[in-house]
Amino acid sequence: MTLDRSKAPEFLIPQDIHLPNPIKRTLPNGVHLYFIPTPEIDAIRLEINSETQNSSISADKKLTSFFTLHMMMEGTKSMDGSELDDFFDFYASEVEVHAGFENNSIALITTKKHFSKVIPVFRSLLTEATFPEKELAKRKSQKALNISIQREKTAVRASQLFRQQLFGQDHPYGQIAEEADVESIQRDDLLKYYETSLLINPEIFLTGNVDAEELALIETYLGSLIINKDNNPAYTFENKPTARLYEDRKDALQSSIRIGCHLIPKSHPDYHALTVFNTILGGYFGSRLIKNIREDKGHTYGIYSTIGSLQGSDYWVIMADVQKAFVNEVIEEIYKEINLLKTTPVSAEELEVVKNYMIGNFLSTFSSSFELINKFKSVHLAGLDMNFYEDKLDFIRDFEAEDILAVGQKYFLKDDLIEVIVG
Amino acid sequence: MINYQQFVLDNGLQVLVHEDHSTKIAVVNILYKVGSRNEIEGKTGLAHYFEHLMFGSTKHIPVFDTALEKVGGSCNAFTNTDITNYYITLPAVNLETAFWLESDRMMNLALTEKTIETQRKVVIEEFKQRYLNQPYGDIFHHIRGLAYDRHPYQWPTIGKEIEDIVNYKKEDVEEFYFTHYRPDNAIMVVAGDVALEEVKRLSEKWFAEIPSGSIPKKTIPTELPQVKKKTKIVAAKVPTDALYKVYHMPGKMQEGYLEADLITDIIGFGRSSILEQQLVKNGHTFASIGAYILGTVDPGLMVFSGKMEKGRSAEEAEKALDEVVEAFKSSKISDTILQKVKNQAEAMKTYESIQLLNRAMSLAYYAHLGNPNYYQEEYEIKTRIPSDKIIHWANTILQEENASVIYYKSVNK
Repeated sequence: MTLDRSKAPEFLIPQDIHLPNPIKRTLPNGVHLYFIPTPEIDAIRLEINSETQNSSISADKKLTSFFTLHMMMEGTKSMDGSELDDFFDFYASEVEVHAGFENNSIALITTKKHFSKVIPVFRSLLTEATFPEKELAKRKSQKALNISIQREKTAVRASQLFRQQLFGQDHPYGQIAEEADVESIQRDDLLKYYETSLLINPEIFLTGNVDAEELALIETYLGSLIINKDNNPAYTFENKPTARLYEDRKDALQSSIRIGCHLIPKSHPDYHALTVFNTILGGYFGSRLIKNIREDKGHTYGIYSTIGSLQGSDYWVIMADVQKAFVNEVIEEIYKEINLLKTTPVSAEELEVVKNYMIGNFLSTFSSSFELINKFKSVHLAGLDMNFYEDKLDFIRDFEAEDILAVGQKYFLKDDLIEVIVG
Repeated sequence: MINYQQFVLDNGLQVLVHEDHSTKIAVVNILYKVGSRNEIEGKTGLAHYFEHLMFGSTKHIPVFDTALEKVGGSCNAFTNTDITNYYITLPAVNLETAFWLESDRMMNLALTEKTIETQRKVVIEEFKQRYLNQPYGDIFHHIRGLAYDRHPYQWPTIGKEIEDIVNYKKEDVEEFYFTHYRPDNAIMVVAGDVALEEVKRLSEKWFAEIPSGSIPKKTIPTELPQVKKKTKIVAAKVPTDALYKVYHMPGKMQEGYLEADLITDIIGFGRSSILEQQLVKNGHTFASIGAYILGTVDPGLMVFSGKMEKGRSAEEAEKALDEVVEAFKSSKISDTILQKVKNQAEAMKTYESIQLLNRAMSLAYYAHLGNPNYYQEEYEIKTRIPSDKIIHWANTILQEENASVIYYKSVNK
C-alpha cells in the first residue's frame, strides 16, 4: 500500500500537565528558601535574589550595584582574587552575578560532588569581600570599554533609548550608563553598598540534586547572613504620547526598531489574554509579524514582540533590525498588523494553531525540571505562585477570538506607543 | 554516558534512539553531513542558505512550521562548517507528525521561486545584522581568509560576501539538495518519551521509500602546511584595537586534537587561566583575552583573541601574548591544574546532559564522527593525557611560521 503523504498523522493535545510547587523553608535569619529537587541531575544552582537599592543612589552613581556585585570575586579577607579564581575553577563551579533594575542576583552553579567544599567560600564573598583598588581600576576600564563598544551597536542603542523613553530619563529604570558614570565610582561607594544594601529582603531559589545534607549546609552558611531591610518605593508608570525618536547613523547598514508601551500587572484579569495577543502578533515563528515582514517580504532576519517582566506592571516591545530603505514600510506594516488583530477576529484555523503551539510549548518548558524554579521565581517576584500557570493553561484552552479583539482594543493604542529607530 | 540503541534503514539512514521516560516530550534531531566545507568559491554560504529553504514548503505541506505548531511542536536548525542540524521538539504523543514532516522535506522539498527569493533577502539581512552591522563583526571573515589558502574553511558559514548570496541559481540549490539531503548522508536521533520498536516502525513507514543519493560529493581541497607567518592589518571604526592570532591544528579525530583542546583549556579558559591572570588582571595591554579551538572535522584553528585597553596597540599586545605562550611551551603542567581541567570536563558533562535536546544533538554529532560512544571515550582519553604530551603538542602547534595574525586597528571617525 502506498503511503498517503498528503494526510497528516492523527494528533492529540496533552491534557494533564503537572506543575510542581516548590518546597519552602525558612532559614534562621528569616530568609525564605524555595527549592525544587531534581534528583536525576547532579548539578546544583543556588541563587540569592535581593532587591536593588534605588532610592538612595544618585544618578551619577548608577553603576554602584553593578560594581559591588562584580567586585565580590576580586578578594576576601582570607583569599585574594587569584586564589578565589583558582578555587572556583578547580571545583568547576561558577559564581554568576546580575545587577538588575529591580533585583540583584548572586548565583552559585556547582555539582553535588563539590557543593560542601564551595558553599563556605561562596558565603565569604557575601561577608568578607575587600574591594581592592587595583582590581577596581581594571574592572572600571573594562566596563568603560564595554560601554563604548555596546553603544556602537544599533540594536543595543535602540533598546537603551526605548527604556529611556518608556520609564523617563530621570528614573532608575530609564537611565543609560555612560563612561562618565564608570569614572564616578569610588571604592567607598562599594563598601557602603556592600554593608547596607547587598542583601535587601533576599530570597533563595534552589534546584538540582539537593537533599538533607545540602539543605543543612545552606542553613549553616546562609542562615546566619545578616540581612538588610529597606523598601524601595512602588513605582507606577503611565503611557503618554511621545514623539518618534530617530537617531541617525550614516554608517549603519540596518535600522533597529523598537516600539512598545506599558501594560498591566501579571495579577490583572486581562493578563493572559494579552499574552496570547502578543504571541499571535509576534511571539512565535508562526506569528503575523514574522509571516509578513520576514517570510513574505524578506525585510528582516527577525522581528519579535515580547512582554517585559517587572514586579509591578509589565511592558511590551516589538524588536527588529531591518533593511534601512524599508524602515517606514515596516513600521506601517506593524501598525497594520496590530490594527488587524483589533478589528478582525482570528480565524478558527489560526486559533487552533496558536492554542496548540502554546500548550505544547508549555509542556516542553515545564518538562525541563532544572528550569522550573525560574518559572516559579518570575511569578513569585510579582507576588503570585504556580497557580498563575494553571490559570494561563486554562485560559489558552478556552479563549475565543473575541477575547483577542477585546484586549487589542483596550491596550494597544497607537497614541500610547513609543517608537525608537537607530540606524 | 547517554544510553542509546541504533539501526540503519536499507537506504542508509542511520537512526539512534535515546529513551528517557522522565519526560512527556520527544525530540527528533536530524543531522545532515554537509556544511560550508562542502561549498565552492563563488557559491559560498550555500549550506546555510539551504537550511533556510528547508523551512519552506514541501509537496504535501504548504507551511512547514504551521503544520508542526498545530500539534504543539516547535523547531529550529543550525549550520556550521561541517554539519547542518535540524531539531523538532513536540509532545511525545505526536511523534509521528515529526516523522511525516522530516521525511517529506527530505523527499519532496518544494523549492519554489517565492521561497528562494524571500530567503535570499532574509539571509542577506542576517549577514548584515550579525557580521557587518556589529563592531568587530567581520573579524572571522578576515581570519579565515588569511589562515586558509585552499580549504573551504577560508570563509565563514554565512558566506564570504553578500554577492555570492545574490548569485545563487535555482540549479545550484537543486544540485545541493540532491547531493546532500539524502538518507545515506543523514543521522536521525529520536529521544525522550519514545520506544525503540515504535521508532523502528515509524522510520520504516516514513523514510524507507526515500532513495539513497546518487550524486557523488565533490572532493574537498586539502590545506597544505603553512610555512611562513601571515599577517594582515584591518582598520575599522571601533573603540579599541583587537588582536586575533590563530595557529593551524589537527582535526577532530586526528592525533593531537585533544592535546590542543587541553592547551586552550589551561591557557585560556576561565578566570583562573594563565592568560586571564597574567595579561588581564596583572597587565596593562589587554582588556580581555581568551583562547579556544575551532573543533572542526578537517584541520582547524587554535584561536587567541583579545581586545586592547584604549590607547594600546594590537602589535604590542602580540608581544605580550607571545611571551606568555613561550613560557608555557617550556613549562610543566602541575597535577593541580590537570585535576582542575578534569573536574571541569566532568562538570561540563553534567551541565550538558540537563537538556534532552543537548543529549540528542551530542549523539547525532558523535555518530556523524563515526562512533556515538566516542562522546564518553573522548572524555576518558582527554582526562588521562599527561603534562609532557600537552607540552609536546604546544611546541608543535604554537610556532610563528604556523601563525596568522589580524591586527584589527581602531581608527578615528
